[in-house]
Amino acid sequence: MSAQFDFRKELITIIPNLRAFATSLTGSFDRADDLVQETLVKAWDKQHTFQPGTNMKAWLFTILRNEFYTQMRKKGREVQDVDGIHAMQLAGHPEQQGHLDLQDFRKALELLPDDQREALILIGASGFSYEEAAEICKCAVGTIKSRVSRARTRIAEILGVEGDGDYGPDSISSQIIGVAPAA
Amino acid sequence: MSDREDEENKLHTGHAQKAQQPSELGVNVAIGKQLKAYYDDVASEPVPDRFLSLLDALDKAESSSKSKTRE
Repeated sequence: MSAQFDFRKELITIIPNLRAFATSLTGSFDRADDLVQETLVKAWDKQHTFQPGTNMKAWLFTILRNEFYTQMRKKGREVQDVDGIHAMQLAGHPEQQGHLDLQDFRKALELLPDDQREALILIGASGFSYEEAAEICKCAVGTIKSRVSRARTRIAEILGVEGDGDYGPDSISSQIIGVAPAA
Repeated sequence: MSDREDEENKLHTGHAQKAQQPSELGVNVAIGKQLKAYYDDVASEPVPDRFLSLLDALDKAESSSKSKTRE
């Protein structure tokens, strides 16, 4: 009884992370929450297979990712674009400084191949180690490393970080700290 | 000196040293910050009620099916 209570409590603490990961996979808040819902149902059904003391976050991310790719295979990606635009509209926080930059970043992220995007998110945002990410994605650690590296290079290219001065590091850093470039 | 200023200086230094090829570290730091901002935008939201209700429903369904099996 108490073990079950802990499972539920742990599950709830990880939901925000699951939603963020699901949003990055689907590009849509609505689809992300549907995916999280499916994940929670699946996780609940197989909670007896979870070994207490092991990484529950990684366990849940694995379930969510499997569910996502199963759904993708079933449905294809035909609704992706419409939903993606919807998500971008919803995502705006006009009062927040630098929101346009985040929009640009979001678009750049969506242009990445699925495997590179998920590797970048798992390592750069979800806080997993390369080893954990490799386990979640069922691939070699070296594969995760090269996907993350290619994802970073690609994003830099898309955002024009390499290249002319308009989008150089000065511009990027000023976007981050929310002030105009010194030049 | 704050972390942000420190970060900015690193980026400036990288740019000055390699004008043609901005420091890879600086670019990665910039991408990393955007990535966290993108992710935390969702991850910092409170857990929606629909998921709490879902877990309650799953919990109830499970205990009622258990008690049925026992009967």
